[in-house]
Amino acid sequence: MLLFPAAALVFLCLLVPLFYVLVLSLNHAVTGDVALHAALTPENYVRLFSRWFYSRILVRTVWLSVLTTVLCAVFGTVLSLSLWRTAGRKRAYLILIVASPLLVSIVTRTYGWMVVLGDTGLVNAVLMHLHVISSPLHMMYTQGAVVVGLVHVFLPMMVLSVLAALDKIDPAIPEAAMSLGAGRFATFWKVIFPLAIPGLSAGITIVFSLSMSSYVTPALMGGSNAGMLTTLIYQQFVVTYNWHFGSALVMVLLATSLLVLVLLLAESSRRTRAWLTRK
Amino acid sequence: MNSIDMPTGWGDRIFTALMRSLVYVLYAFLLAPLICVVIVSFNAEAVQTFPPQHWSFHWYAVAMETHSFTHGLLVSAVLALVATLIAAPAGVAAALALNRSNWKGKAWVEAIFLAPLVVPGLVAGIAILVATAALNVRDAPVRLLIGHIVIVLPYVIRTTLASLARLDPQIAEAALTLGAGRFTAFRLITLPLIKQGLTAGMLFGFILSFDDVSVSLFLSDARTVTLPLAIMSYLQYSFDPSVAAISSLLIGVTLIFIIVLERRMGVKKLFTG
Repeated sequence: MLLFPAAALVFLCLLVPLFYVLVLSLNHAVTGDVALHAALTPENYVRLFSRWFYSRILVRTVWLSVLTTVLCAVFGTVLSLSLWRTAGRKRAYLILIVASPLLVSIVTRTYGWMVVLGDTGLVNAVLMHLHVISSPLHMMYTQGAVVVGLVHVFLPMMVLSVLAALDKIDPAIPEAAMSLGAGRFATFWKVIFPLAIPGLSAGITIVFSLSMSSYVTPALMGGSNAGMLTTLIYQQFVVTYNWHFGSALVMVLLATSLLVLVLLLAESSRRTRAWLTRK
Repeated sequence: MNSIDMPTGWGDRIFTALMRSLVYVLYAFLLAPLICVVIVSFNAEAVQTFPPQHWSFHWYAVAMETHSFTHGLLVSAVLALVATLIAAPAGVAAALALNRSNWKGKAWVEAIFLAPLVVPGLVAGIAILVATAALNVRDAPVRLLIGHIVIVLPYVIRTTLASLARLDPQIAEAALTLGAGRFTAFRLITLPLIKQGLTAGMLFGFILSFDDVSVSLFLSDARTVTLPLAIMSYLQYSFDPSVAAISSLLIGVTLIFIIVLERRMGVKKLFTG
Protein backbone atom coordinates (compact mmCIF):
# COMPACT_ATOMS: atom_id res chain seq x y z
CA MET A 1 0.00 0.00 0.00
CA LEU A 2 1.04 3.56 -0.61
CA LEU A 3 1.00 4.36 3.07
CA PHE A 4 3.55 1.77 3.90
CA PRO A 5 6.89 3.59 3.45
CA ALA A 6 5.85 6.68 5.39
CA ALA A 7 4.12 4.62 8.05
CA ALA A 8 7.19 2.42 8.44
CA LEU A 9 9.40 5.50 8.73
CA VAL A 10 7.28 7.11 11.44
CA PHE A 11 6.82 3.85 13.30
CA LEU A 12 10.44 2.75 13.23
CA CYS A 13 12.11 6.12 13.51
CA LEU A 14 9.89 7.75 16.08
CA LEU A 15 7.32 5.59 17.82
CA VAL A 16 9.52 2.61 18.55
CA PRO A 17 12.37 4.79 19.84
CA LEU A 18 9.92 6.58 22.10
CA PHE A 19 8.92 3.23 23.51
CA TYR A 20 12.60 2.49 24.17
CA VAL A 21 12.86 5.71 26.14
CA LEU A 22 9.81 4.78 28.17
CA VAL A 23 11.27 1.41 29.09
CA LEU A 24 14.65 2.92 29.89
CA SER A 25 13.02 5.44 32.20
CA LEU A 26 11.50 2.56 34.14
CA ASN A 27 14.77 0.68 34.50
CA HIS A 28 17.08 0.80 37.47
CA ALA A 29 19.56 3.63 37.07
CA VAL A 30 23.11 2.49 36.42
CA THR A 31 25.61 5.00 35.10
CA GLY A 32 26.68 4.20 31.56
CA ASP A 33 24.28 1.32 31.07
CA VAL A 34 22.19 1.78 27.96
CA ALA A 35 20.66 -1.65 27.45
CA LEU A 36 16.99 -2.18 28.16
CA HIS A 37 15.97 -4.50 30.98
CA ALA A 38 12.72 -6.19 31.72
CA ALA A 39 12.78 -5.31 35.40
CA LEU A 40 10.72 -2.16 35.84
CA THR A 41 10.95 0.33 38.68
CA PRO A 42 9.53 3.81 39.19
CA GLU A 43 12.64 5.01 41.06
CA ASN A 44 13.62 7.60 38.47
CA TYR A 45 10.25 9.30 38.61
CA VAL A 46 10.26 9.16 42.39
CA ARG A 47 13.64 10.85 42.38
CA LEU A 48 12.40 13.61 40.12
CA PHE A 49 9.28 14.43 42.09
CA SER A 50 10.60 13.90 45.61
CA ARG A 51 13.73 16.03 45.45
CA TRP A 52 13.09 19.72 45.38
CA PHE A 53 16.30 20.35 43.44
CA TYR A 54 14.81 18.62 40.42
CA SER A 55 11.19 19.59 40.99
CA ARG A 56 12.19 23.22 41.21
CA ILE A 57 13.61 23.01 37.71
CA LEU A 58 10.37 21.51 36.44
CA VAL A 59 8.34 24.23 38.11
CA ARG A 60 10.63 26.92 36.71
CA THR A 61 10.36 25.44 33.23
CA VAL A 62 6.58 25.44 33.37
CA TRP A 63 6.51 28.97 34.79
CA LEU A 64 8.83 30.42 32.15
CA SER A 65 6.92 28.61 29.40
CA VAL A 66 3.61 29.97 30.68
CA LEU A 67 5.08 33.47 30.83
CA THR A 68 6.43 33.16 27.30
CA THR A 69 3.11 31.82 26.04
CA VAL A 70 1.09 34.62 27.64
CA LEU A 71 3.39 37.31 26.25
CA CYS A 72 3.32 35.70 22.82
CA ALA A 73 -0.47 35.47 22.96
CA VAL A 74 -0.92 39.14 23.82
CA PHE A 75 1.65 40.56 21.43
CA GLY A 76 0.89 38.00 18.77
CA THR A 77 -2.77 38.96 18.74
CA VAL A 78 -1.89 42.64 18.42
CA LEU A 79 0.42 41.95 15.47
CA SER A 80 -2.07 39.62 13.79
CA LEU A 81 -4.85 42.15 14.01
CA SER A 82 -2.62 44.77 12.49
CA LEU A 83 -1.60 42.39 9.70
CA TRP A 84 -5.20 41.36 9.14
CA ARG A 85 -6.18 44.94 8.44
CA THR A 86 -3.32 45.49 5.96
CA ALA A 87 -3.90 44.64 2.35
CA GLY A 88 -2.02 43.66 -0.79
CA ARG A 89 1.71 43.81 -1.34
CA LYS A 90 2.41 45.55 1.92
CA ARG A 91 0.75 42.69 3.76
CA ALA A 92 2.79 40.10 1.89
CA TYR A 93 6.02 41.87 2.80
CA LEU A 94 5.01 42.28 6.42
CA ILE A 95 4.12 38.61 6.70
CA LEU A 96 7.54 37.85 5.24
CA ILE A 97 9.16 40.01 7.92
CA VAL A 98 7.20 38.25 10.63
CA ALA A 99 7.86 34.76 9.31
CA SER A 100 11.51 35.10 8.34
CA PRO A 101 12.93 34.64 11.87
CA LEU A 102 11.33 31.21 11.85
CA LEU A 103 13.49 30.06 8.99
CA VAL A 104 16.71 31.36 10.46
CA SER A 105 18.41 28.91 12.78
CA ILE A 106 17.60 29.26 16.44
CA VAL A 107 21.31 29.48 17.18
CA THR A 108 21.57 32.60 15.02
CA ARG A 109 18.55 34.18 16.65
CA THR A 110 19.78 33.45 20.15
CA TYR A 111 23.22 34.76 19.26
CA GLY A 112 21.53 37.91 18.01
CA TRP A 113 19.96 38.38 21.42
CA MET A 114 23.29 37.85 23.08
CA VAL A 115 24.55 40.75 20.98
CA VAL A 116 21.55 42.94 21.81
CA LEU A 117 21.42 42.25 25.55
CA GLY A 118 25.11 41.72 26.26
CA ASP A 119 27.16 44.05 28.44
CA THR A 120 28.62 45.70 25.33
CA GLY A 121 25.53 45.14 23.26
CA LEU A 122 22.94 47.31 21.58
CA VAL A 123 20.70 48.11 24.55
CA ASN A 124 23.55 48.95 26.90
CA ALA A 125 25.35 50.98 24.22
CA VAL A 126 22.24 53.07 23.56
CA LEU A 127 21.44 53.59 27.23
CA MET A 128 25.04 54.52 28.09
CA HIS A 129 25.25 56.86 25.10
CA LEU A 130 22.11 58.63 26.26
CA HIS A 131 23.61 58.73 29.78
CA VAL A 132 20.62 56.97 31.27
CA ILE A 133 22.97 54.56 33.01
CA SER A 134 26.65 54.80 33.84
CA SER A 135 27.60 51.14 33.91
CA PRO A 136 26.15 48.32 31.83
CA LEU A 137 23.01 46.53 32.94
CA HIS A 138 23.65 42.82 33.32
CA MET A 139 20.75 41.41 31.39
CA MET A 140 22.24 38.21 30.07
CA TYR A 141 22.23 34.95 32.01
CA THR A 142 18.97 35.69 33.77
CA GLN A 143 15.52 34.18 33.57
CA GLY A 144 14.32 37.41 31.98
CA ALA A 145 16.81 37.02 29.14
CA VAL A 146 15.52 33.51 28.52
CA VAL A 147 11.93 34.76 28.33
CA VAL A 148 12.90 37.55 25.93
CA GLY A 149 14.72 35.05 23.73
CA LEU A 150 11.85 32.58 23.81
CA VAL A 151 9.21 35.20 23.06
CA HIS A 152 11.24 36.38 20.08
CA VAL A 153 11.59 32.86 18.76
CA PHE A 154 7.94 31.91 19.10
CA LEU A 155 6.09 35.16 18.43
CA PRO A 156 5.97 34.56 14.65
CA MET A 157 4.34 31.17 15.21
CA MET A 158 1.61 32.77 17.28
CA VAL A 159 1.09 35.55 14.76
CA LEU A 160 0.72 33.15 11.84
CA SER A 161 -1.62 30.93 13.80
CA VAL A 162 -3.95 33.74 14.86
CA LEU A 163 -3.80 35.34 11.43
CA ALA A 164 -5.01 32.12 9.85
CA ALA A 165 -8.06 32.19 12.12
CA LEU A 166 -8.69 35.90 11.53
CA ASP A 167 -8.60 35.41 7.78
CA LYS A 168 -11.52 33.05 8.06
CA ILE A 169 -13.74 35.71 9.60
CA ASP A 170 -16.31 37.17 7.27
CA PRO A 171 -15.51 40.92 7.20
CA ALA A 172 -19.20 41.70 7.16
CA ILE A 173 -19.52 40.62 10.77
CA PRO A 174 -17.34 43.27 12.43
CA GLU A 175 -18.74 45.78 9.95
CA ALA A 176 -22.21 44.95 11.17
CA ALA A 177 -21.13 45.34 14.77
CA MET A 178 -19.70 48.78 14.11
CA SER A 179 -22.63 49.95 12.08
CA LEU A 180 -24.74 49.05 15.11
CA GLY A 181 -22.66 51.45 17.18
CA ALA A 182 -19.96 49.35 18.84
CA GLY A 183 -16.66 51.17 19.38
CA ARG A 184 -13.38 49.73 18.19
CA PHE A 185 -12.46 48.03 21.40
CA ALA A 186 -15.97 46.64 21.95
CA THR A 187 -16.00 45.21 18.44
CA PHE A 188 -12.66 43.60 19.04
CA TRP A 189 -13.48 42.15 22.41
CA LYS A 190 -17.01 40.92 21.75
CA VAL A 191 -16.91 40.00 18.07
CA ILE A 192 -13.45 39.53 16.61
CA PHE A 193 -11.66 38.00 19.57
CA PRO A 194 -14.13 35.12 20.15
CA LEU A 195 -13.94 34.25 16.46
CA ALA A 196 -10.14 34.20 16.58
CA ILE A 197 -9.98 31.84 19.55
CA PRO A 198 -9.38 28.64 17.52
CA GLY A 199 -6.23 30.19 16.04
CA LEU A 200 -5.22 31.53 19.42
CA SER A 201 -5.54 28.17 21.13
CA ALA A 202 -3.61 26.42 18.37
CA GLY A 203 -0.90 29.03 18.76
CA ILE A 204 -0.88 28.69 22.55
CA THR A 205 -0.49 24.93 22.32
CA ILE A 206 2.37 25.18 19.87
CA VAL A 207 4.20 27.92 21.75
CA PHE A 208 3.87 26.29 25.16
CA SER A 209 5.05 22.93 23.89
CA LEU A 210 7.97 24.46 22.04
CA SER A 211 8.96 26.63 25.02
CA MET A 212 9.00 23.66 27.34
CA SER A 213 11.24 21.71 24.97
CA SER A 214 13.53 24.55 23.92
CA TYR A 215 17.20 23.90 24.61
CA VAL A 216 19.34 26.44 22.79
CA THR A 217 17.86 29.63 24.19
CA PRO A 218 17.91 28.64 27.88
CA ALA A 219 21.36 27.06 27.49
CA LEU A 220 22.97 30.07 25.83
CA MET A 221 21.08 32.88 27.53
CA GLY A 222 20.17 31.42 30.88
CA GLY A 223 23.42 30.50 32.52
CA SER A 224 23.23 28.60 35.79
CA ASN A 225 20.43 30.70 37.25
CA ALA A 226 17.88 29.71 34.69
CA GLY A 227 18.37 25.98 34.27
CA MET A 228 15.37 24.47 32.58
CA LEU A 229 14.21 20.91 32.14
CA THR A 230 15.97 20.67 28.78
CA THR A 231 19.36 21.73 30.11
CA LEU A 232 18.94 19.21 32.93
CA ILE A 233 18.13 16.53 30.37
CA TYR A 234 21.23 17.46 28.41
CA GLN A 235 23.36 17.12 31.53
CA GLN A 236 21.95 13.67 32.28
CA PHE A 237 22.66 12.37 28.81
CA VAL A 238 25.97 14.02 28.09
CA VAL A 239 27.63 14.78 31.43
CA THR A 240 26.49 12.50 34.23
CA TYR A 241 25.58 9.71 31.80
CA ASN A 242 22.52 8.73 33.77
CA TRP A 243 20.38 7.89 30.78
CA HIS A 244 17.69 6.33 32.93
CA PHE A 245 16.97 9.43 34.92
CA GLY A 246 17.31 11.47 31.74
CA SER A 247 14.71 9.26 30.05
CA ALA A 248 12.32 9.83 32.91
CA LEU A 249 12.80 13.58 32.48
CA VAL A 250 12.16 13.22 28.75
CA MET A 251 8.94 11.30 29.41
CA VAL A 252 7.77 14.00 31.81
CA LEU A 253 8.52 16.62 29.16
CA LEU A 254 6.59 14.72 26.50
CA ALA A 255 3.70 14.08 28.88
CA THR A 256 3.43 17.76 29.77
CA SER A 257 3.34 18.82 26.11
CA LEU A 258 0.74 16.21 25.25
CA LEU A 259 -1.30 17.07 28.32
CA VAL A 260 -1.52 20.72 27.33
CA LEU A 261 -2.45 19.72 23.78
CA VAL A 262 -5.20 17.38 24.95
CA LEU A 263 -6.56 19.89 27.48
CA LEU A 264 -6.73 22.64 24.91
CA LEU A 265 -8.34 20.43 22.30
CA ALA A 266 -10.91 19.22 24.80
CA GLU A 267 -11.67 22.74 26.00
CA SER A 268 -12.00 24.17 22.52
CA SER A 269 -14.25 21.37 21.31
CA ARG A 270 -16.35 21.80 24.42
CA ARG A 271 -16.73 25.51 23.70
CA THR A 272 -17.55 24.89 20.07
CA ARG A 273 -20.19 22.36 21.02
CA ALA A 274 -21.64 24.72 23.59
CA TRP A 275 -21.75 27.55 21.10
CA LEU A 276 -23.32 25.43 18.39
CA THR A 277 -26.04 24.14 20.66
CA ARG A 278 -26.80 27.37 22.49
CA LYS A 279 -30.41 28.42 22.83
CA MET B 1 -11.95 44.96 6.80
CA ASN B 2 -10.02 47.80 5.19
CA SER B 3 -12.63 50.17 3.94
CA ILE B 4 -14.82 50.52 6.99
CA ASP B 5 -15.49 53.92 8.44
CA MET B 6 -14.23 53.66 11.97
CA PRO B 7 -15.98 55.60 14.67
CA THR B 8 -13.45 58.05 16.12
CA GLY B 9 -14.27 58.99 19.65
CA TRP B 10 -11.40 59.95 22.00
CA GLY B 11 -11.13 56.49 23.45
CA ASP B 12 -10.85 55.05 19.99
CA ARG B 13 -8.12 57.48 18.97
CA ILE B 14 -5.96 56.74 21.99
CA PHE B 15 -6.52 53.03 21.55
CA THR B 16 -5.53 53.21 17.89
CA ALA B 17 -2.41 55.27 18.57
CA LEU B 18 -1.28 52.93 21.34
CA MET B 19 -1.83 49.87 19.23
CA ARG B 20 -0.01 51.35 16.26
CA SER B 21 3.08 52.22 18.30
CA LEU B 22 3.02 48.80 19.90
CA VAL B 23 2.99 47.21 16.46
CA TYR B 24 6.05 49.23 15.40
CA VAL B 25 7.87 48.25 18.59
CA LEU B 26 7.03 44.60 17.92
CA TYR B 27 8.38 44.70 14.37
CA ALA B 28 11.57 46.29 15.69
CA PHE B 29 11.70 43.59 18.37
CA LEU B 30 11.41 40.88 15.73
CA LEU B 31 14.12 42.28 13.49
CA ALA B 32 16.58 43.70 16.03
CA PRO B 33 18.65 40.57 16.75
CA LEU B 34 19.00 39.67 13.08
CA ILE B 35 20.02 43.18 12.08
CA CYS B 36 22.49 43.33 14.97
CA VAL B 37 24.09 40.08 13.88
CA VAL B 38 24.66 41.47 10.41
CA ILE B 39 26.06 44.74 11.77
CA VAL B 40 28.40 42.98 14.18
CA SER B 41 29.72 40.75 11.39
CA PHE B 42 31.36 43.80 9.85
CA ASN B 43 33.11 44.72 13.09
CA ALA B 44 36.85 45.01 12.48
CA GLU B 45 37.87 44.29 16.08
CA ALA B 46 37.50 40.97 17.82
CA VAL B 47 35.62 42.42 20.75
CA GLN B 48 31.99 42.98 20.03
CA THR B 49 31.37 46.60 20.73
CA PHE B 50 28.25 48.28 19.57
CA PRO B 51 28.28 50.14 17.27
CA PRO B 52 31.41 48.90 15.49
CA GLN B 53 34.27 51.39 15.47
CA HIS B 54 35.82 50.11 12.28
CA TRP B 55 34.24 48.11 9.47
CA SER B 56 35.80 45.17 7.66
CA PHE B 57 35.07 41.98 5.76
CA HIS B 58 37.81 40.26 7.73
CA TRP B 59 35.59 37.99 9.78
CA TYR B 60 33.84 36.62 6.71
CA ALA B 61 37.21 35.38 5.49
CA VAL B 62 37.95 33.91 8.90
CA ALA B 63 34.58 32.19 8.99
CA MET B 64 35.08 30.64 5.56
CA GLU B 65 38.39 29.21 6.71
CA THR B 66 37.20 27.87 10.03
CA HIS B 67 37.20 24.15 9.54
CA SER B 68 34.32 23.43 11.88
CA PHE B 69 32.10 25.84 9.93
CA THR B 70 32.92 24.56 6.46
CA HIS B 71 32.68 20.94 7.57
CA GLY B 72 29.42 21.70 9.35
CA LEU B 73 28.04 23.40 6.25
CA LEU B 74 28.79 20.31 4.19
CA VAL B 75 27.27 17.96 6.76
CA SER B 76 24.12 20.06 7.14
CA ALA B 77 23.61 20.48 3.41
CA VAL B 78 24.11 16.82 2.53
CA LEU B 79 21.99 15.68 5.46
CA ALA B 80 19.12 18.01 4.59
CA LEU B 81 19.28 16.98 0.94
CA VAL B 82 19.30 13.24 1.55
CA ALA B 83 16.62 13.44 4.23
CA THR B 84 14.38 15.47 1.92
CA LEU B 85 14.95 13.12 -1.02
CA ILE B 86 13.99 10.13 1.11
CA ALA B 87 11.06 11.78 2.86
CA ALA B 88 9.56 13.23 -0.32
CA PRO B 89 8.48 10.02 -2.13
CA ALA B 90 7.30 8.42 1.10
CA GLY B 91 5.41 11.58 1.97
CA VAL B 92 3.78 11.92 -1.44
CA ALA B 93 2.70 8.29 -1.35
CA ALA B 94 1.23 8.74 2.10
CA ALA B 95 -0.55 11.96 1.09
CA LEU B 96 -2.04 10.21 -1.95
CA ALA B 97 -3.31 7.36 0.18
CA LEU B 98 -4.73 9.69 2.82
CA ASN B 99 -6.43 11.88 0.25
CA ARG B 100 -7.99 9.04 -1.64
CA SER B 101 -9.42 7.06 1.20
CA ASN B 102 -12.12 7.47 3.75
CA TRP B 103 -11.83 4.69 6.26
CA LYS B 104 -13.09 4.88 9.80
CA GLY B 105 -9.80 5.45 11.51
CA LYS B 106 -8.57 7.99 8.99
CA ALA B 107 -8.26 10.85 11.47
CA TRP B 108 -6.11 8.69 13.72
CA VAL B 109 -3.82 7.68 10.86
CA GLU B 110 -3.43 11.30 9.87
CA ALA B 111 -2.62 12.13 13.47
CA ILE B 112 0.11 9.48 13.55
CA PHE B 113 1.74 10.95 10.48
CA LEU B 114 1.68 14.39 12.01
CA ALA B 115 2.99 12.99 15.32
CA PRO B 116 6.52 14.21 14.62
CA LEU B 117 5.13 17.72 14.81
CA VAL B 118 3.65 17.09 18.24
CA VAL B 119 6.67 15.37 19.70
CA PRO B 120 9.28 17.95 20.65
CA GLY B 121 12.47 17.75 18.59
CA LEU B 122 14.56 17.18 21.68
CA VAL B 123 12.42 14.20 22.69
CA ALA B 124 12.61 12.70 19.20
CA GLY B 125 16.38 13.11 19.10
CA ILE B 126 16.89 11.47 22.47
CA ALA B 127 14.49 8.66 21.55
CA ILE B 128 16.48 7.89 18.43
CA LEU B 129 19.72 8.05 20.41
CA VAL B 130 18.44 5.61 23.03
CA ALA B 131 17.02 3.20 20.48
CA THR B 132 20.11 3.16 18.26
CA ALA B 133 22.38 2.80 21.28
CA ALA B 134 20.35 -0.14 22.54
CA LEU B 135 20.59 -1.73 19.10
CA ASN B 136 24.33 -1.02 19.04
CA VAL B 137 24.17 1.35 16.11
CA ARG B 138 26.89 3.92 16.84
CA ASP B 139 27.11 5.55 13.44
CA ALA B 140 26.38 9.27 13.80
CA PRO B 141 25.45 9.92 10.14
CA VAL B 142 22.86 7.14 10.28
CA ARG B 143 21.34 8.46 13.49
CA LEU B 144 21.28 11.99 12.12
CA LEU B 145 19.66 10.85 8.90
CA ILE B 146 16.92 9.02 10.78
CA GLY B 147 16.27 12.10 12.88
CA HIS B 148 16.17 14.46 9.95
CA ILE B 149 13.83 12.26 7.92
CA VAL B 150 11.47 12.46 10.88
CA ILE B 151 11.76 16.25 10.73
CA VAL B 152 11.05 16.60 7.01
CA LEU B 153 8.35 13.95 6.52
CA PRO B 154 5.35 15.62 8.22
CA TYR B 155 5.84 18.88 6.33
CA VAL B 156 5.96 17.14 2.98
CA ILE B 157 2.82 15.19 3.85
CA ARG B 158 1.00 18.28 5.07
CA THR B 159 1.67 20.51 2.07
CA THR B 160 1.12 17.72 -0.46
CA LEU B 161 -2.15 16.81 1.23
CA ALA B 162 -3.24 20.44 1.08
CA SER B 163 -2.42 20.55 -2.64
CA LEU B 164 -4.25 17.30 -3.28
CA ALA B 165 -7.30 18.52 -1.42
CA ARG B 166 -7.63 21.37 -3.87
CA LEU B 167 -7.32 19.04 -6.82
CA ASP B 168 -10.38 17.80 -8.68
CA PRO B 169 -10.22 13.97 -8.48
CA GLN B 170 -12.09 13.65 -11.73
CA ILE B 171 -9.07 14.76 -13.71
CA ALA B 172 -6.98 11.76 -12.69
CA GLU B 173 -10.03 9.53 -12.99
CA ALA B 174 -10.50 10.67 -16.57
CA ALA B 175 -6.94 9.62 -17.35
CA LEU B 176 -7.61 6.19 -15.86
CA THR B 177 -10.78 5.67 -17.87
CA LEU B 178 -8.86 6.61 -21.00
CA GLY B 179 -6.51 3.70 -20.38
CA ALA B 180 -3.59 5.13 -18.45
CA GLY B 181 -2.05 2.94 -15.75
CA ARG B 182 -2.17 4.19 -12.14
CA PHE B 183 1.43 5.27 -12.08
CA THR B 184 1.25 6.94 -15.50
CA ALA B 185 -1.83 8.83 -14.42
CA PHE B 186 0.01 9.94 -11.31
CA ARG B 187 3.20 10.87 -13.14
CA LEU B 188 1.60 12.79 -16.01
CA ILE B 189 -1.49 14.27 -14.37
CA THR B 190 -1.41 14.42 -10.58
CA LEU B 191 2.26 15.12 -10.04
CA PRO B 192 2.50 18.26 -12.19
CA LEU B 193 -0.62 19.60 -10.50
CA ILE B 194 0.68 19.11 -6.97
CA LYS B 195 4.23 20.12 -7.86
CA GLN B 196 3.85 23.53 -6.25
CA GLY B 197 2.73 22.21 -2.89
CA LEU B 198 5.22 19.38 -2.97
CA THR B 199 8.24 21.55 -3.72
CA ALA B 200 7.14 24.04 -1.08
CA GLY B 201 6.98 21.24 1.46
CA MET B 202 10.36 19.93 0.38
CA LEU B 203 11.98 23.36 0.50
CA PHE B 204 10.49 24.02 3.89
CA GLY B 205 11.57 20.63 5.19
CA PHE B 206 15.05 21.25 3.83
CA ILE B 207 15.35 24.57 5.64
CA LEU B 208 14.08 23.13 8.91
CA SER B 209 16.46 20.21 8.64
CA PHE B 210 19.36 22.53 7.85
CA ASP B 211 18.62 24.83 10.79
CA ASP B 212 17.76 22.08 13.22
CA VAL B 213 19.41 21.93 16.59
CA SER B 214 17.14 20.06 19.00
CA VAL B 215 17.06 16.76 17.10
CA SER B 216 20.69 16.90 16.01
CA LEU B 217 21.96 17.86 19.45
CA PHE B 218 21.98 14.31 20.75
CA LEU B 219 22.63 12.53 17.50
CA SER B 220 25.90 13.99 16.32
CA ASP B 221 29.35 13.01 17.50
CA ALA B 222 32.78 14.62 17.39
CA ARG B 223 33.31 13.83 13.73
CA THR B 224 29.88 14.60 12.33
CA VAL B 225 28.62 17.99 13.41
CA THR B 226 25.93 20.04 11.71
CA LEU B 227 26.47 23.75 11.08
CA PRO B 228 24.11 25.10 13.79
CA LEU B 229 25.76 22.80 16.32
CA ALA B 230 29.21 23.90 15.16
CA ILE B 231 28.20 27.53 15.64
CA MET B 232 26.77 26.78 19.06
CA SER B 233 29.89 25.04 20.33
CA TYR B 234 32.06 27.80 18.88
CA LEU B 235 29.95 30.27 20.87
CA GLN B 236 30.66 28.47 24.09
CA TYR B 237 34.33 29.29 24.13
CA SER B 238 34.83 32.15 21.70
CA PHE B 239 32.76 35.23 21.05
CA ASP B 240 34.43 36.77 18.04
CA PRO B 241 32.51 38.15 15.05
CA SER B 242 33.24 35.16 12.82
CA VAL B 243 30.08 33.70 14.36
CA ALA B 244 28.25 36.81 13.24
CA ALA B 245 29.75 36.44 9.76
CA ILE B 246 28.65 32.85 9.27
CA SER B 247 25.27 33.66 10.78
CA SER B 248 24.82 36.59 8.39
CA LEU B 249 25.61 34.31 5.49
CA LEU B 250 22.96 31.91 6.74
CA ILE B 251 20.45 34.73 7.11
CA GLY B 252 21.19 35.79 3.53
CA VAL B 253 20.72 32.31 2.14
CA THR B 254 17.52 31.84 4.15
CA LEU B 255 16.19 35.11 2.79
CA ILE B 256 16.66 33.84 -0.74
CA PHE B 257 14.88 30.61 0.14
CA ILE B 258 12.00 32.55 1.67
CA ILE B 259 11.55 34.73 -1.38
CA VAL B 260 11.47 31.63 -3.55
CA LEU B 261 8.99 29.98 -1.18
CA GLU B 262 6.75 33.03 -1.08
CA ARG B 263 6.59 33.19 -4.84
CA ARG B 264 5.67 29.51 -5.01
CA MET B 265 3.21 29.06 -2.24
CA GLY B 266 3.03 31.77 0.32
CA VAL B 267 4.78 31.28 3.63
CA LYS B 268 1.65 31.61 5.78
CA LYS B 269 0.05 28.52 4.27
CA LEU B 270 3.05 26.37 5.16
CA PHE B 271 2.76 27.03 8.84
CA THR B 272 -0.97 26.79 9.16
CA GLY B 273 -1.81 24.02 6.70
